[in-house]
Amino acid sequence: MAWLRRNGLRIYAGFAVLYMLVPIIVIAVFSFGETPRDRLNFSLGGGFTLEYWENAFAIEELNDALRTSLELAALSTVASTAIGTLMALALVRYQFVGRRASNLLIVLPMATPEIVIGASLLSMFIIYTIALGFTTLLIAHIMFSISFVVVVVRSRLIGFDRSLEEAARDLGATPFQTFRYVTLPLILPGVIAAALLAFALSIDDFVISNFNSGTTVTFPLYVFGVALRGIPVQVNVLATMLFVVTVAAILLVIWQQRRAERMAAVAPEPEPQPQVA
Amino acid sequence: MSNQSKQSFTRKWRWLAGAAAGLAAALVLAACGGDDVGGEREGDVEVAEGGRPTGEITISQWPGYIDPGSNGTVAEFEQRFGVNVNYIEDVNDNVQFFGKLQPQLDQGQSGGRSLFVVTDWMAKQMYDLGYLQEFSHEDLQTVFDNILPQFEESDSDPERKFSIPWQGGLTGIWVNTNQAPEIRAVEDLFDPKYKGKVTMLAEMRDTMPLVMQSQGIDVENATTDDWLNTIDLLREAADSGQIRRFTGNEYTEDLTSGNVVAAIGWSGDASLIGREGIEWRRPTDGCDTFFDQMVIPVGAPNTAAALAFMNFAYRPEVQADIATYVNYVTPVEGVQEILLQRDPELGRNELIFPPPELTEGCTADPNPPGSAEDQQEVTEEYQDLITG
Amino acid sequence: MTIGRRFIPYWLLLPGAVWLILFFVVPMYFMGELALRSGTFETGFTFDWQFSNFPDSLEGNEEQIIRSFWYAGVATILALLIAYPLAYAIALQSGRWKLLLLFAVIAPFFTTYLIRTIAWKTILADSSPVVDILQALALIPDDGRVLATSGAVIAGLTYNFLPFMILPIYASIERLDLRLVEAAKDLYASSRQAFLRVTLPMTAPGIVAGVLLTFIPAYGDYVNAAILGGTNQAMIGNRIQSLYLFQRDYPEAAALSFLMMALILVVVLVYIRAAGTEAFMGEDEER
Repeated sequence: MAWLRRNGLRIYAGFAVLYMLVPIIVIAVFSFGETPRDRLNFSLGGGFTLEYWENAFAIEELNDALRTSLELAALSTVASTAIGTLMALALVRYQFVGRRASNLLIVLPMATPEIVIGASLLSMFIIYTIALGFTTLLIAHIMFSISFVVVVVRSRLIGFDRSLEEAARDLGATPFQTFRYVTLPLILPGVIAAALLAFALSIDDFVISNFNSGTTVTFPLYVFGVALRGIPVQVNVLATMLFVVTVAAILLVIWQQRRAERMAAVAPEPEPQPQVA
Repeated sequence: MSNQSKQSFTRKWRWLAGAAAGLAAALVLAACGGDDVGGEREGDVEVAEGGRPTGEITISQWPGYIDPGSNGTVAEFEQRFGVNVNYIEDVNDNVQFFGKLQPQLDQGQSGGRSLFVVTDWMAKQMYDLGYLQEFSHEDLQTVFDNILPQFEESDSDPERKFSIPWQGGLTGIWVNTNQAPEIRAVEDLFDPKYKGKVTMLAEMRDTMPLVMQSQGIDVENATTDDWLNTIDLLREAADSGQIRRFTGNEYTEDLTSGNVVAAIGWSGDASLIGREGIEWRRPTDGCDTFFDQMVIPVGAPNTAAALAFMNFAYRPEVQADIATYVNYVTPVEGVQEILLQRDPELGRNELIFPPPELTEGCTADPNPPGSAEDQQEVTEEYQDLITG
Repeated sequence: MTIGRRFIPYWLLLPGAVWLILFFVVPMYFMGELALRSGTFETGFTFDWQFSNFPDSLEGNEEQIIRSFWYAGVATILALLIAYPLAYAIALQSGRWKLLLLFAVIAPFFTTYLIRTIAWKTILADSSPVVDILQALALIPDDGRVLATSGAVIAGLTYNFLPFMILPIYASIERLDLRLVEAAKDLYASSRQAFLRVTLPMTAPGIVAGVLLTFIPAYGDYVNAAILGGTNQAMIGNRIQSLYLFQRDYPEAAALSFLMMALILVVVLVYIRAAGTEAFMGEDEER
């Protein structure tokens, strides 16, 4: 019974993670199903086949779409995380004129339905005759990601223990050095969480992209196009691959970390770290 | 004033001033552009230039509407003419596609597209708004040599100067014959036995004529009130849950997964043909036909290649390939003979080559009657209905 | 040195502010201008200070506005209940698996929104084993279904916005100073009390952020209702989409959008008031 009390939360977490993975499991399972005309309507009844895995990259448009989405997401994430983190720092750390207005400016994009952002951006691009395409998509993606980055980084910055920074400054570090060697590493988990969110937002975006992409096709736009008449099984295959690759990459990172720890155990003991959780 | 309130007073003023400055800046920026929105485009109608096709071309099309792959029509075209084709299947719904493209078309741009395919009534609307280019018959020899006589002119484009038929079909009922074999008429869809197991098309010009005919209304001479009353009827059915949803192309999913037993849908739907237990039926109490058209938008970059593509698609052998895959009605002469040789069953397929009895008395994606305001009212009411 | 320091916040703010103004505020201005026009699509929209568009646009859409609020609210609460224990477990109890779990939670969201929702549609199909189980457990009537009901849409919303709830809460729990919890326990607080009076308040910023990040986009969503819903589940987002793309009644669409934004802002401000401004705005007490 006590075991249950101690590990109850962990067991719950296990189920919760499973719940989150349910659709991806379904997607993976259906990537092995035999379907008429190679177009999947998520219906059971065919046999098991590896055919689609062998021909995973057979559909040129799908590959292009996925590549475009990944490029777009990478660029958008880097830009919006950088811009957003700077903004969050300004908003939490400093009192200045226009602070309230800036807070409002951050909140507004999140309160706006995507369709409105998409349509209004489109009108503006048209009126200023800016050609629609990858660039306009990138602009839009960065724009809607900034707010989210700010909110996430901000919640990490609030209540941040300033004494470490003060200590660094007392020891003669310039503000820039303090930021680089003390602040940044400590807020890094928050920044990474924000970056993850920005990446997911970009890769996932459908509505705003639909309005501002011109003839550029992103992965979600491609899926929408084919969803109505039958999704090619390769979509499932690539989606599963994407998931597996991401998880594998993380496992690699963890394995590297453990190796580093083990090596450090052999090396002379480093200075004791401050006990901040 | 005390020091405190003086401070907050100044702060408030500063805030206001800042906001006003920001607004003024935005206004200035915005003032440099954009006056009228909507309405007809000004300017003369352009005529598409012919010539030798070169370079590259972007075509927007409905999904699953052409034979794909390295032996497909697009690949063949690329090889024959040395033109690079960017073939995107981003037309999922006439109205949605229009909505997406409209701001650009309004400014005379097509977003890079040289050719796209929409249903005939949408083509006419676009033409009336000045969004399409015309073409001369001289540039389209192959088309007009091979087009079936019944398609040489149409109600929406009497002189065939802005639209060339691609493929067409009938709107009817797809039925799960295992679970509901008795459904043969649109009226059956209102049977409480099938509550929640029926879907209808969101496309107004597909669903409305069918339902009106099942109510005994003569669609050609229907009044605005007839349309509105029918919408009310549908609204009752929707609210009570009789109609599960109004769909675009995705009715196929609901059918194959068993969520519904009957759906109003299109005859040539490639993903449903040949499936065990699912069958398309021409309703006994009404029918509707549609025909999709190739059009060249304003601002199209490579009209020569677009015209060449149109001609290419009208070669009987090419069209036969398309018809084999797509299973919709083909507008080209000589295709039936070719198919009869290749695959006799396909050559006799009534859905590709509908006999007159099948299409007799069918409406053709009609518009609501009356003035622009009346039409608007009907459209709005219908939209209200299908968005729940 | 002091003069330069005073401008630091502005320098930090500059790139973001410029970006947002150029690509958010200015288009909004255009939309506002559009909301004051009148006419039909075919005859053209002319600008004539048509303020009546605002109340007009509400007509016929009240049901969807309320429904969206209801759906988004329930989804947010469910998400919070699911996410908090999960974030807690990942941040504090998972040891070496922390990073992996975090990514396992986020990674499915690198597959497309649409495909995930369509997958749920398959899972919840009328003939699926899941529905059979639910019927056996008498959670739904024997001839009932899950799809095309409010439940399906809420479930979809909850699932799709869960990471928006998990990430901020996780970030907030992660930097929790556990010594304070220990201190509370040393002072004879039970685990429950320690949680309620130390952990929970200290992770409040994360909760506030998560709730807002979930509720607001959920409110304006239309994909879930379109795929998982039926004829009676349309949300305000569906209405706006229809106005923009189908009816092409741009003035009404623009007016409705503004009203929607205003409503959300009001809700947000009320919530922030209730949750306490420090939790959100981060007024630094030291300054």
